[in-house]
Amino acid sequence: MLRDRFTIRSNQPLPEFSTPNAEAFVAEDKRDPKRALYALICRPDMPVRVNVMRALKGMLNPGLVQLVEWGAMTWSPAGRQCMTVIYERPIGKRLMAGPRSPECRRVDEYDISRKVVEPLVAAIKELTNRGITHRSIRASNLFFMDEGGERIALGDCATAPPAYDQPMAFETVESGMANNVARGSGSFSDDLYSLGVTLVFLLLGRNPVAHMDDEALLKMKIQQGSYSTLVGDERLPLAFIELLRGLLCDDPDQRWDIESLDLWLSGRRLSPLQQRHEKRAARGFPFNGKEYLNCRELAAAMSRSWDLAIPPVLEGKLELWLRRAVEDKERAQAVADVVRMALNGGDKRVVADLMLCKVLIMLDPTAPIRYKGFNSMPDGVGSALAAVMAQKGDTKLLAEVILREVPRLWFEARKSYLPDNSLMDSNFKELKGYLTQTGLGFGLERCLYEMNDALPCQSTLLGEEYIVELKELLPALNAAAAKRTDSKQWPVDRHVAAFMGARARSDIDRNLVQLNDSEPSRSLMALLNLFAVFQYRLGPEQLPNLAAWVGALAQPAVAAFHSREKRKELEKELPKLVRRGSVVEIYNLLDNPGERDKDQSEFAWAQAQYQAAEEEIRRVQNNEDDRGKEAVRIGKQTAAVTGIVIALLSTTITVIMKVW
Amino acid sequence: MAKKKFQAAPVKKGAAAGGGGMNKAVVLTILAALVPFSLPTVVLLAFTMLPTIGAWASERGNNKYAWLCVGGLNFAGVIPYLFGLWFGVHTLDEAFNLLSEAGVLLWAYGASGIGWLLYTAMPPMVSSWLSFTTDRRVAALKAAQKRLVEDWGDQVVKKGHN
Repeated sequence: MLRDRFTIRSNQPLPEFSTPNAEAFVAEDKRDPKRALYALICRPDMPVRVNVMRALKGMLNPGLVQLVEWGAMTWSPAGRQCMTVIYERPIGKRLMAGPRSPECRRVDEYDISRKVVEPLVAAIKELTNRGITHRSIRASNLFFMDEGGERIALGDCATAPPAYDQPMAFETVESGMANNVARGSGSFSDDLYSLGVTLVFLLLGRNPVAHMDDEALLKMKIQQGSYSTLVGDERLPLAFIELLRGLLCDDPDQRWDIESLDLWLSGRRLSPLQQRHEKRAARGFPFNGKEYLNCRELAAAMSRSWDLAIPPVLEGKLELWLRRAVEDKERAQAVADVVRMALNGGDKRVVADLMLCKVLIMLDPTAPIRYKGFNSMPDGVGSALAAVMAQKGDTKLLAEVILREVPRLWFEARKSYLPDNSLMDSNFKELKGYLTQTGLGFGLERCLYEMNDALPCQSTLLGEEYIVELKELLPALNAAAAKRTDSKQWPVDRHVAAFMGARARSDIDRNLVQLNDSEPSRSLMALLNLFAVFQYRLGPEQLPNLAAWVGALAQPAVAAFHSREKRKELEKELPKLVRRGSVVEIYNLLDNPGERDKDQSEFAWAQAQYQAAEEEIRRVQNNEDDRGKEAVRIGKQTAAVTGIVIALLSTTITVIMKVW
Repeated sequence: MAKKKFQAAPVKKGAAAGGGGMNKAVVLTILAALVPFSLPTVVLLAFTMLPTIGAWASERGNNKYAWLCVGGLNFAGVIPYLFGLWFGVHTLDEAFNLLSEAGVLLWAYGASGIGWLLYTAMPPMVSSWLSFTTDRRVAALKAAQKRLVEDWGDQVVKKGHN
């Protein structure tokens, strides 16, 4: 049951609506049982697009299957909470059975504008206005929404990272070069490219590149351009040639935008864009048993065989090829400068890797960041990290990318200023700062949550809970507290701390640094402070289990008070606050600066007193000889005075007696 | 530096010895001048105060208080007879008569004996008293330390950082 309203039938799967990463099941709305719905259950190890879900919820657009509701829900077949997305159930089928199917439903050229182009352009416009991209526009994600096949709409795009399920054919050359988990959200231009490919499929009624594997398809797109690769010698209506040339243009700056599409839809015809091809070299560059005739292709090949690519670049062969065969002296000089700097650099392996990364960017500036086999668009690093961490993969390479500021090399190579790039660059600098700190609340986990603002907390402490927002964390910890078995375990681990650091609206890094203090009382107080602030700001008012958990761990904070009387007082007071379930009050009780200062000064005074007494005892006990001498002297003096006094008294008495 | 100190000390000691000798000579001269006028007193005192002289002569060290203690009691034993001589017949015969009486010498020497006893007993008594008060002080300090440990824990034993 999702949000106490939608029932998902785990015994009624709907495989025809499943996506490669989410299974579909029948969903029912309690308020409107006749409404046809289906639910997609997301894979727990796959980062989903919560921001897209937020933006799409309730949106009514003829070009989009309506996203009715979303949220985490306990899914008994998986035995844990899973993200669930509920969509309006299309009446008809998909236009293409699967992403790799050779055939798809053909849409008549006279209908395609009305049925496909108009609604999909409207959908892309709406998404752009809401600041999101679809990135799952493909023929296999289009549904007939009615029995007559009059309305066609785009399906799910939120249950996997952007463009994760997109076949190579539907992605631009640049996006196609990136690992599918690291393609990034991209821009509306990427969606328009996918729309162009979808139109080709629908006009032809088949997949024109079904016979090609991804590598060959990418190579052909680079060599001949996307339009030529996908359309080739096929005969298409004239009006659509103009549209498709505009949408399938490989230069993102020249590719048609929404305005151009609007003009086309309103009947105004624009001159078709001519494909610009990459400059061919006079002779090929031999690499890994093949010859490459243009920079883009060579860069892609080098990125695939990283270790083999370094020697020819360092030996200057690439520079020579650029200078003589490509006749691009400027680029040759830039490569020569990078190689020279690398030869004079420090750690040869590191410098060589960064050098090759720079050279690949120079050879193909629009390509993704390519580093040791990891190919990612700058905004795709986050989802890549999330996927690798969720699947418990090796994160070393991703950590290296951040620590060695690899994205910066990509941003520096941009010809024009883009505010988004500048923002991402400064974000990556911040991430490097987090990664260099190894304590709780920092490290790769912090980078993970900073880069994926909708990623649920991955902490094992939370069990099966699906926690996306900070306000959900304390209640989840409260629930986990009831089930805990280890009484000494803290209610925080690397993921919880990093999640708090990334999701808190204010800067809590100082508290997180304190959380790593070697003094247990200080680290506990830092944790209590964080929890208290979150409970105070975000609620709920009562967290009895969590309060009991932190109360049981409060011993170091109580022990930080020197006065035993104060300790007894705190130990007496704590259970009352635990029963009230208030971490805020527990924190206020333990963190009373006035009391703490008073305790400290009184303890210092007690220490001084103890030491003074100790000193005096030592002095007294060590002066036995002196005391003996002193006793003899005083004794003799006393005796002498006594003698004199007796003499005087007897004289006086004698005088008095004589006088009387 | 050491040489200077070594030279300075004898000079100072010599000067002090010279001053003391001069004083003693003056006192002895005055006493000698008085002898013809009070010979009976001198004779009586000379014989009855012998324990005092002995105490003065026998004691060594810096704190020479024995002659004062012994002398005080010795004088207390002699003073009634001395007054008898002064207010009776102040002659040499009377002085010798007194000296020949066993009671006179018994009082004089007995009193000086008590003086010796007092002088001998007093230092151990004072020592015991001092020891008693010291033990009480140490016990009081340890009790205070114990209270501090009870109030503040074992950490209070450590020296403070401030």
